[in-house]
This record gives sequence, C-alpha cells and structure tokens, in this order.
Amino acid sequence: MQAVGTRNRWIWSARILFLLPVSLLFFFFFIYPFFFTVFTSFTSWRGIGSMKFNGVKNYAKLIADPTFQKALGNNIVWALSQGLIQVPLACLVAMILVRKPFGWRGLRTIYYLPNVISTVALAMVWVAIYNVDGPLNAILADLFGMEKHNWLGNPDTALFAVIFQTVIYIGYFMIVLLASAMNIPRSLYEAAEIDGASTLVQEINITLPMLRGTLITTMTLAMAYGMRHFEATFLMTGGGPAYATTTMGIDLYLKMDALRYSEASTSGVFLIIMGTLVITLLRKLFGSSDPMSEMAQ
Amino acid sequence: MMKKSRLIAVLLLLCLLFPLGAQGQAESGQQKEIELRWASIWVGNDSKAPAVEALVEEFNTKNAGKIKVVIEPQPDYNAYEQKVRTSLAAGQAPADIFTIKFNPTTATFYQSNLLMDFQGKLDDAWKGTFDAGSLEQSTVDGMLKSLPMETAILPIWYNMDAMKSVGVNAMPATEQQMFSAFDKLKAAGIAPTSQMTGDTNAWTSMIWFSHFAVSLGGPNVWDKPFTDPAFVEAANLIKRMIQEYSTADAVGLGAGGSGGHFLAGRTAVFSNGPWYAGRADLAATPFFDSIKIGGLPAVGEYEDIMISRLQANICAASSKDADKEQAIVDFLKFLTSPSSIAKIAETSGAMFAIKTDYRPVNNLQKQFYDANEAASTTAFDLEAALGAEVTLEFAQQLGALALDRISAEEFCALVDRKIER
Repeated sequence: MQAVGTRNRWIWSARILFLLPVSLLFFFFFIYPFFFTVFTSFTSWRGIGSMKFNGVKNYAKLIADPTFQKALGNNIVWALSQGLIQVPLACLVAMILVRKPFGWRGLRTIYYLPNVISTVALAMVWVAIYNVDGPLNAILADLFGMEKHNWLGNPDTALFAVIFQTVIYIGYFMIVLLASAMNIPRSLYEAAEIDGASTLVQEINITLPMLRGTLITTMTLAMAYGMRHFEATFLMTGGGPAYATTTMGIDLYLKMDALRYSEASTSGVFLIIMGTLVITLLRKLFGSSDPMSEMAQ
Repeated sequence: MMKKSRLIAVLLLLCLLFPLGAQGQAESGQQKEIELRWASIWVGNDSKAPAVEALVEEFNTKNAGKIKVVIEPQPDYNAYEQKVRTSLAAGQAPADIFTIKFNPTTATFYQSNLLMDFQGKLDDAWKGTFDAGSLEQSTVDGMLKSLPMETAILPIWYNMDAMKSVGVNAMPATEQQMFSAFDKLKAAGIAPTSQMTGDTNAWTSMIWFSHFAVSLGGPNVWDKPFTDPAFVEAANLIKRMIQEYSTADAVGLGAGGSGGHFLAGRTAVFSNGPWYAGRADLAATPFFDSIKIGGLPAVGEYEDIMISRLQANICAASSKDADKEQAIVDFLKFLTSPSSIAKIAETSGAMFAIKTDYRPVNNLQKQFYDANEAASTTAFDLEAALGAEVTLEFAQQLGALALDRISAEEFCALVDRKIER
C-alpha cells in the first residue's frame, strides 16, 4: 500500500517536473504579457513615467477612430480572402495532386517554394512587379493596350494588389490538405468507381467530406492570419496611401512608434478579441467533427 | 557519517568563498576602472564610424586604467530606435551613452529619470562650444537630457547637367524661374522632381512641404494651427509638384525609390540631408560634379530660410555612482570638443551643433556649409517640429491629396487633428 502511494507521488512529481519548464515559459511569455497588455489598455501611458488609470477612454477613442475602423474593415477583407480564396485554391490543387498526375512531386515542390522564401524578399519582388514602369503594366499594355497604373499608389487597387500577392501562395495549406487527402482510404474511391461515380462526383462526395476537419483547421489558421496580418502590407505600402491598406497590426505598430503604448495595448486587446471571435464563429458554423478521425476510431 | 558529510560541505563552501574575499581585498587597494557602454549608431559603413572609433581609442588610451568606453555597435537604426524605446519603457537605460533623433515624440524621454540632466553639468566653457539655438531646442521644461550633436540642413539638390540640357544654367532664384525650369525639364521628358508619399514620413516631399510652409508662414510657422492659410497654400503647392512635376509613381513611393530616380537621372531635382552626399552610388553618377545645393526659391514673403533638424542628440544614463556620472561627462566633453568634432566632420562631411573652424574641401560637402551660412535663418522641418505621429498622418493623407481625393483644406484639417496642444 505504501509502495503504491510512493509510486503515485513519484508520478505526480515527474508530471509537474516535465510541465514546469513549458509552464514557466508560457506564463512569462504569454500569460503575463497578455494581462499586462489588458491592464495597460485601461491606462494612459507613453512608455515612460507612471501609468494613469483612465477607464475605457482608450476603447472609446479607438472605436471612434476612422483609421482604426478602416484597419478593422481591411482585416475582415484579409480574413475572408485568405479563408475563402486561398484555402479553397489550396484544396483544389491538393485534390488534383492527390491523384498523382504526371510531375506531381515537382509541382508540389514548386507550389511550396514561396513558403521558404522570406516575406521581405517576396514583398520587394511584388513592389517591383506593381511599379508604374514594372512588368505587370508592360504586359497589360502589350496585351490590352492598357495605360500605366500605379497599383500600390492608388487607394482603389492597393489593398487588392497586396492581398493578391499573398493569397496566390497556397503552398502551406496545400501541403496540409494534400497530406490529409493522401490518408483517405482508397477503398472508398474503388467502391465509388464500381458504382459508376465520375471523378467530380467522387471529389464532391468523398474527398471534400473526408477533408472537412482539415479544411476547418486550415480555414481557421488562414482567417486568424488574415486578422493579424502585418508584414507584407507594411513592407509594400506602409498601410497607405491614405490608410487604404492599413491593418490593426500596422495601427498597433505605428502607435508604439509614436510612444502611445496604452493605445497600442488597446489595439492589441481588440486584435485578440477579433481573432477569438473568428475562431469561435468558424467552429460554430462548421462544427469541429472530423470524419477522418472518427473513421480511425 | 552525517557529521563527516556536513564538514566536507562546509569546507567546500569556504574554499569557494575564500578567493572571492581575497579578490575583494586586492581590488580595494587599487582604483577600479569605470566601463562605459556606448550604443553607437556610427558604426560599420557609417561615414562617421572611422573617426568615432579612433576618438574612442584615443580617449581610452589617455584614461587607461580609469575609464574605458566600449562601443556596442547598432548598425540597424530602426532596430536601435525600438531598443531605446523598449528599454526605457522597461525601466532600463539602453546603454550608458546613446543617441536619439530629437523631436516632440522623443522629447517624451525627458520624463524619464533614467536620463542624465546635463543642465547642472554644463559649465560655461563647455556650453560655449555648442550652438546656442540647438541647445535651446534641446531643452524641455528647463531640462537638458540630451546634448545636440549632429545637425543637418535639408536643402534642394539640382542636377545641373540635366538643367543645362534644357537651357537652364543656374539654380532658380524665383518661384517663376523654378516653374519655368520645371516646365522645360518636363517638355524634354525629364521628371523635374523626386516626390514621394510612401514610408512613415514621405521624406523628400516632407522636405519640400517644409520649405513651402516656412516661406509662406515664416520660421515660426509650426506654432500655428495646421489649418492656417500658409499650410493650405503649401499643401496646394506640394500637390502641384506631385501631380505635374514628379514621376508617375510618386504616390506610394518610398525614399529608396525617390532617391533612386535622382541617382538614375530620371529626375533632375531632389531633396535630402548631407549624409546623402557621402554615398558611393551618388559619387558614381555621371552628373556628380554638376550637383548644386541650395534653398528653394521663396514662394511666400519669407526668403532665405533653410530647413534644418537636430539629427542626433546624445543622451547618457543617470547613475547613483558619482564617479561614473563624472566619467560620462569627461567622455562627452572629449567627444564634443571642437577638435574631436572637426575630426568626425572631416571624414564624414556631416554637420554638427558644436562650433568648429572646420571647412570641408569636398565640393558637395562645402556647398552644404555654404548653403547653411547663406541662409538668413533656419527653421525645423515638419517631422522635427511636430513629431512622428503628425508626420505619419501627413504622409498618409498626402497620397489622397495628390490623387484629388481630398482638398488642401481637408488635408490640413486631417493633419491638424493629430497635433497635441
């Protein structure tokens, strides 16, 4: 009896010991900064001197700020573009590649390649492509006789120009979906073929339902990324012109730059709330069941 | 057995502590060297780096065993600025010595007790070496928590080869001459000016706008509301520059692109500070020797005002250790002495808030000094006068103004709402 008690104590001690490093890291680098951010969002603080509690003034100011409203709207466009364009595109390519057409391995590598190139390099390439004297205008002028257009300098086209150069890079989600699609049992397709189902019918009735769990996960990731988007836009347009491409992340960064720490914290809290809302909404809409894991059980 | 183990443990502890005690006794007998960490941005490829490093070495040799200055290289300025901000917010000085770009945003740092106030340290002799105006501009609420060091004027650069190719043989002296020259350049297929609305400050266009505003409203124009007619008129002028006298990609263009157009000879007129004069790619241009530096012709009633800024102010960490504070003062006195500054200026061509007899021999650098001396007075540029947040709004709305999305009055009203009063 005493031996069992000692063994249990050892097991619990080992569990705590194994959990301790990661728990400490999680506390110091997530829990503490999170609550500090929430706390400072209710204060007036410029990073220097003492903090003064000012209630919900920062939140009221943020909601009434037209720049932030624009940023929020742009983030929603980003999230929808990534969730409803990038992921379906990735899914389509994964569904083609899973049938292993000629050169599928090479294509898989090519599609994934942009994901190993730095965002900075890609952004610089696209700035050159979109330049007034760049190749895009030259091609459009040759093909359709179009006049030169300042893609990133025009508020009407800047946002879509930046989104386009992100959503076409489907490699990451394609690889995730492809890996999942490759695990769908062949017997399901064989049975469908015996029943005379065409390839399209097989994709709609077998592949897509079987990928449901992975699709929800990739959409959640894509939309969450869209809500916190920063790098490419900051590098390509800095949020301009006239805040046409600004996002909540850029708004937060620029507030920090202007030493408005408490207001930046308020933007940060808003960003967390919006990210949580997107995830919750997706889970509510599509549920969290995964036919693949259910089959495995 | 237990007693034996305890005895061994105590002996081991004593063995560990003994050398520490002995070292303490040895050190108390001799003077301890004070080490000063300097987070320096003048490193690597910076034109001031060789002279600064030589000066630090000279100071260390003179003060061997007493004071040692150690340079902590900060080659990435944006990362360095973040480091200064976050360190001060976290309650720590970024280093014993560091620099800031002084403007209303960074003036917030003066609220920190982590920064040394030079007001009590600046004796008459030392004070006398500084330009009085720069010292006054660096003083906030009676505190002098940064010493003005590097200054800059922001004149207009003319590629005279391009100007001469269209029959313009001298820098324009009047507004009429300027627009006439620009029309000729435009007719010859050369974009007259390098304008831009990108980045966080629309740098080159911000300089043009500052010249216009100061000429229309005087050197104290920045004290007026941004809705003042001087700013509205300046906004109309900068809009005209972007729409009619710049490259087609000006809206959204960054400083790299704006400078690139000038370097490639696609534009004939440019605006930037003296640091641009030392660039190798500029020296490699076929028109390098033809570049003329000057002010912008007056567009309002105020003439010959040069736009300037405090480019780098030097700060020091406050310390409870009086010896350390004195060591910092000793080093800064050495660094900001006219002879040290002359050495830095000689290799870099940069301009300083410390008076020296140094006069550059390099043609382009010499022109900066001449342009500064020719000015009746100097006035800050928009960013130096109103801070980062106002300048960001200026840059963002400048694109909308240039695309006729907003009027000059609306543009000024939008910028005005960002000014803290």
